[in-house]
Amino acid sequence: MQLTQITRLTLPRWNAARTSPRLIMAAGLVALFVAVPLVYIFIRAVAAEPEAWQRLLQTRLWKLLGNTLILALAVTSGALATGVSMAWLTERTDLPGRGIFRWMLALPLAIPAYIGGIVHLSLLRPRGGFIPQALEAIFGQPVILPSPIGFWGAAFILTLFTYPYVYLLSSAAFRRLHASLEEAARTLGRTAWQTLWQVTLPALRPGLMAGALLVALDILAEYGTVALLRYETFSSAIFIQLSGRYDRSAASILSGVLVSLAIFILWAELRLQGRARFTQVESNWRPAPPVSLGKWRLPALSLVLFVISASLLVPMAVLVIWSANSLLDPQALRAVFRTGTIGFGSFIWNSVWTSSLAAAAAVAFSLPVALLSVRHPGRISRFISRLCQVGYAIPGVVIALSLVLLVNRLLPFLYATPFVVVIAYVLRHMPQAVRSSESAFGQLSPSLEEAARNLGRTSVQTFFQVTLPLITPGLLAGGALVFLTSLKELPATLLLRPAGFDTLAVRVWIWAVDGFYMQAAPAALFLVLAAALPLSFLLRREQIFR
Amino acid sequence: MSFNRNVSVILLLPLALAACTPAAQLENTAAATQDQAGMETIESPESPQTEIKGRLVIYSGRSETLIQPVIDAFTAKYPDVEILLKAGSNSELANALIEERANPQADVFITTELFTVQSLAAQSIFQPYLPAGAEQLPAGFVGDQNLWTGLTRRARVIMYNSELVSPDEAPKSIFELADAKWSGQIAAAGSTNGSMQAQIAVLRQVIGEGATEGWLKDMIANQVTFFGGHTDVRKAVGAGEFKLGLVNHYYFYLQQAEGSPVGIVFPDQDEGQIGLITNATAAAVVNGGANAAAAQAFIDFLVSAEGQKLFAELNYEYPLLPNVRLREGVQPLDGFRLADVDVAKAAQEYEATFELMERVGLP
Repeated sequence: MQLTQITRLTLPRWNAARTSPRLIMAAGLVALFVAVPLVYIFIRAVAAEPEAWQRLLQTRLWKLLGNTLILALAVTSGALATGVSMAWLTERTDLPGRGIFRWMLALPLAIPAYIGGIVHLSLLRPRGGFIPQALEAIFGQPVILPSPIGFWGAAFILTLFTYPYVYLLSSAAFRRLHASLEEAARTLGRTAWQTLWQVTLPALRPGLMAGALLVALDILAEYGTVALLRYETFSSAIFIQLSGRYDRSAASILSGVLVSLAIFILWAELRLQGRARFTQVESNWRPAPPVSLGKWRLPALSLVLFVISASLLVPMAVLVIWSANSLLDPQALRAVFRTGTIGFGSFIWNSVWTSSLAAAAAVAFSLPVALLSVRHPGRISRFISRLCQVGYAIPGVVIALSLVLLVNRLLPFLYATPFVVVIAYVLRHMPQAVRSSESAFGQLSPSLEEAARNLGRTSVQTFFQVTLPLITPGLLAGGALVFLTSLKELPATLLLRPAGFDTLAVRVWIWAVDGFYMQAAPAALFLVLAAALPLSFLLRREQIFR
Repeated sequence: MSFNRNVSVILLLPLALAACTPAAQLENTAAATQDQAGMETIESPESPQTEIKGRLVIYSGRSETLIQPVIDAFTAKYPDVEILLKAGSNSELANALIEERANPQADVFITTELFTVQSLAAQSIFQPYLPAGAEQLPAGFVGDQNLWTGLTRRARVIMYNSELVSPDEAPKSIFELADAKWSGQIAAAGSTNGSMQAQIAVLRQVIGEGATEGWLKDMIANQVTFFGGHTDVRKAVGAGEFKLGLVNHYYFYLQQAEGSPVGIVFPDQDEGQIGLITNATAAAVVNGGANAAAAQAFIDFLVSAEGQKLFAELNYEYPLLPNVRLREGVQPLDGFRLADVDVAKAAQEYEATFELMERVGLP
């Protein structure tokens, strides 16, 4: 998730010549840390017996590939359409209430998709769901509604909880867009509609591409929602392989294929992103005037309200009602609020300390990488920086598989401790920290550091006395992002947690898959609120929310 | 070599940053990795009160809701024992036990079928222990060299929604589930579920590999919906989302207790049919676990009349210990013809069951 935009600065030439070997070493070690699990999975995949490959090729591989790609494509398109239209309506039109909608449209990022899925499933489930039963009670006969189970349900629910990526990036782009671009198009005889398609959207392309990439990679890694709605993708198939079979070669093969797919998407985005160049004249910047919706006001308002209800209001309302019910029901209350390792307090504490530690570690590790890539651009530093972005492409299940095997062989004393869970979070969410840190370094002029050096500070003193204080807000943003996503992480936590170590996410899942929604609700509600804190901090940093 | 060293340096960094985490977490690690010696105790402890304390790590193939009440009853008796539970599928936990062989984490393993314990026993994952009273268990429910102990039996049955299906219409054989008239109306558990795996393993022995493969393919073609576990199946059948469910017998009783209109068929009872498929849950002490004394006390408790009664009362299971009463309303197994299976052979060929599920693409 990239909420900040990277600005590159042209650097004075003398800097590149003085790259410290210690810095390269540190950045290299971080890259190695990220690369080891990845390389290990590829080795396991390639080294798997040919029969295992053959069995998969003959049976499930193509179906899984098709399922995964179709879902990623559908959700990415859905998220693009929803995100861009919501951004346009709240940024560029006179839609009533747009100030508050801007917030509400971003907040579903705090709700893990599987929690949204649990709510929608319990509401819409054919015959057994709340809505079909209510309709049957009203009309006296069953009313057939579309089922949320399978492809369409998965696509719908995942779109609801991933569109905010696109929405945030495209609203930021809409805000920055210079009025004169569209005015020129209109002066040259384009209609408003033509201007949107021929001028505005192409100018938004870099932001849209970044959003689409995040959505697509998220879908490849998604486990909870697809498992819940019984739509089989690579991630859920790997999870089943890991938890259901003795043989790990099939899981390794599927992981290898999945990671290749993700790396291909990441590479394609970097290629396309690299070529896109849109220059705006920075002087005389003024915002474009809002479009008057006229008779479209009401339909537009209903559309926004529908998106907000389905992605935020309904899930939150249901969680609050369930939580209240579980507080009123003595049996559920006893099950939820216990003491010891299966107590509510321990779930919260486990979630918070593992996510915080992961955030601190990811930011610390990202420093040498970002410093190297921003202050000393070159082939090596670009390679290291790109390598650290690869975590985006390694789904939680794959990291879990890799870590179980690696840690038990190389670091048995760490095995079955919560620190393995933390390592998984760091590996998976490192890209967010690296991107935020790069952006923070990029916005800091090197002349300040040069001044410190000229006044006799060593490079280490300069870093701690000048650089670090100035980039702290940027680093905090990166940390908040890692904290937020680690808090929501499900599959790696499920597979790596030691006995008696449950996080909020794990607890929600365990209760919900057993059908105990009331018991799951307080933990889910707490998880969403805990995720909303860092999210609101991040949103406030964005200009549109000030 | 230097490669490995670098890796450990990097992986250690988070530890250095972890100075602010609670000491208890670190103690846990230390206790778990501590080397244990001299625990070849085969007899049960004379007095249950001697030295039964500390952490007891349980890996349970029974889902948390089905084991937690029993754990609570145990900790009420032994308040000095802190139980850490990891519940998952039998094969997931079996994988973990094999992976952890050199670095054992668990003290007790509980499964929902006998094949996994037998295959792990053959790989020296367990240490011998014969719990107090286990000599009363029926033959075949204590492992070779006392490496595992059976706990309860359960039967594989068909449950139906009695508002949608009449008792006469309900299928009398599991092979009728492949009939096209039930297309899209059946729910079952998928390939990660131990009871489903065991049923397939038994079928392979009784009707052969080819016929079992055919049955699975027909079920998939008949659009059977495979859930992750049986709780979903029973709730879906209870709600009328599906007409039929293939489950363990107690899921029917649990759903009936919630007030749903459901019926039960103990299938394949006619002459020429294969008989009722049953399986058993079992427990074992993990070799090299950190707290063998507590592990043994825990298994003693599971096999005791008190523990067996909990399984029977809370979960409608068939206790293995004689003279423990069934829960009111549960049909005793005595009246049924049971499928005739060579359990040891089925355990040896358990891997082939996984290959079969993989080949047919059972979700």
